[in-house]
Amino acid sequence: MTENKYPPKNWLVESILVTLFCCLPFGIAGIINASKVESRFYAGDLEGAERAAREAKKWTKIGFWISLVGIIIYLLFYAVVMASVIGSNY
Amino acid sequence: MISKKHIKLGAGIAGAIALIAVYKTFNPSGNEFFPKCPFYASTGLKCPGCGSQRAVHHLLNFNIAGALWENFLLVISIPYLMLGFYIEFTHNKTERILKWRKKLFGIKAIYVILVIVISFWILRNTPLLN
Repeated sequence: MTENKYPPKNWLVESILVTLFCCLPFGIAGIINASKVESRFYAGDLEGAERAAREAKKWTKIGFWISLVGIIIYLLFYAVVMASVIGSNY
Repeated sequence: MISKKHIKLGAGIAGAIALIAVYKTFNPSGNEFFPKCPFYASTGLKCPGCGSQRAVHHLLNFNIAGALWENFLLVISIPYLMLGFYIEFTHNKTERILKWRKKLFGIKAIYVILVIVISFWILRNTPLLN
């Protein structure tokens, strides 16, 4: 094990949050990349671990933005439907 | 001097407070404006995250039993996730913290998590856990 050197941030916790609150596929992709960060780091492949960490971060971010955009689109759609329902009552 | 980092932090805190207020006040079941799970909407099957919004609503109102009922996995994972964030944001990780990190958030733990998430996904769509 390499002393005095931390493993890169593996984004595991964030990936679990993505799995539970947003989108399963991106969450699972993040968790798998977190496992790659760990196995590569402790196998001495620092560069590979960094690469997996970037990949894990990417999936977390994709999950975050997709859920945000999805929610905004959903709310806009909801507002339009509501407005038309209210409008049709008059 | 207000930096980009401060703006991000401020937006994050404001967003979190707004979300907490909305989720505490409104129950996602019976209020149509909450987003729906696309997996559930298209297949009729629950994904591992289904019920999270309702679970958060119950948790914010201190109804632990209700939250467990809506999404068991979410509730039991909270202490684990908090510990994970704590370790992640600890600067100057000591040898001891690194040892615990490796034990609880290392490769074996990640495989266990994958198995738990997938088993939960399958089981909650069977009568066993429903």
